[in-house]
Amino acid sequence: MRALVIDDSRAMRRIVSGILAGIGYETAEAGDGRQALDLLEAGETFDLACIDWNMPVMNGLEFVVAVRANRAWRDMTMMMVTTESEHGQIVRALAAGAHEYLIKPFTPDAIRDKLELLGLVPQADLIEEPV
Amino acid sequence: MSTLTPFDTQISAIAEEVFAAMIDGEPGHLVALPDGAPLTDPVYAWVDMHAGVTGRALLATDVATAHDLARALLQMGADEPVGEADLVDAFGEVANVVGGNLKALLPVQGTLTLPQVGRERPDLSGATQVDAVALMWRGQPLDITVWQI
Repeated sequence: MRALVIDDSRAMRRIVSGILAGIGYETAEAGDGRQALDLLEAGETFDLACIDWNMPVMNGLEFVVAVRANRAWRDMTMMMVTTESEHGQIVRALAAGAHEYLIKPFTPDAIRDKLELLGLVPQADLIEEPV
Repeated sequence: MSTLTPFDTQISAIAEEVFAAMIDGEPGHLVALPDGAPLTDPVYAWVDMHAGVTGRALLATDVATAHDLARALLQMGADEPVGEADLVDAFGEVANVVGGNLKALLPVQGTLTLPQVGRERPDLSGATQVDAVALMWRGQPLDITVWQI
């Protein structure tokens, strides 16, 4: 499975990508919504996008709206990963088309739990090692 | 005119959660420093909160400590040199997450600016200090102040 991590902080991209890689994802990164759209427009496909809200150039909410406006990208699950934790902001993001919402700071288990809820944990990661 | 009310102990609680989750992987490495400690080579990171009232969350620590923060966040080696871009990115993100969680405590929904980082303290002339918390991360001082601007 492939994930796109969109955050203007390299540190945060590295944290999220590392967690996703540990779950079994192949990851790509973008520093803002525009860069992420460029990847999609170039034909890259992703099962999951983890999206920061506050970014320069194009913020996360604008990215979600842009993705939802294109039927070709409808299969990509979008999870906001952000410090925006007010109820109104969460509702706004979900109404715009985000599927899940994770508030910073988060733990690796929190990301995994969200992905399990979404059915987006790669199967190999769910298979327990034989005893 | 609206005023920013003190966050009090919530600042420490938020900071401890941020450091435990993002930086240390476990709690206990960021603790209160009751008497504070002077910074000898400070660097500042801040975000502004606009929510009916404008506030600023300002973090300050020594450059060497900010380098250690960057190493921890970017999973770098203990002796690996930290570039300016990495320092700005890492310390700015810490300010962003702390400030974002403080903003969520305000009674009015608002917006958060992108983080800024600088070696000079930002201009706070005319601003009112609302909170000041002295902390210590792995033995090094780290201050968080909140201002109404």
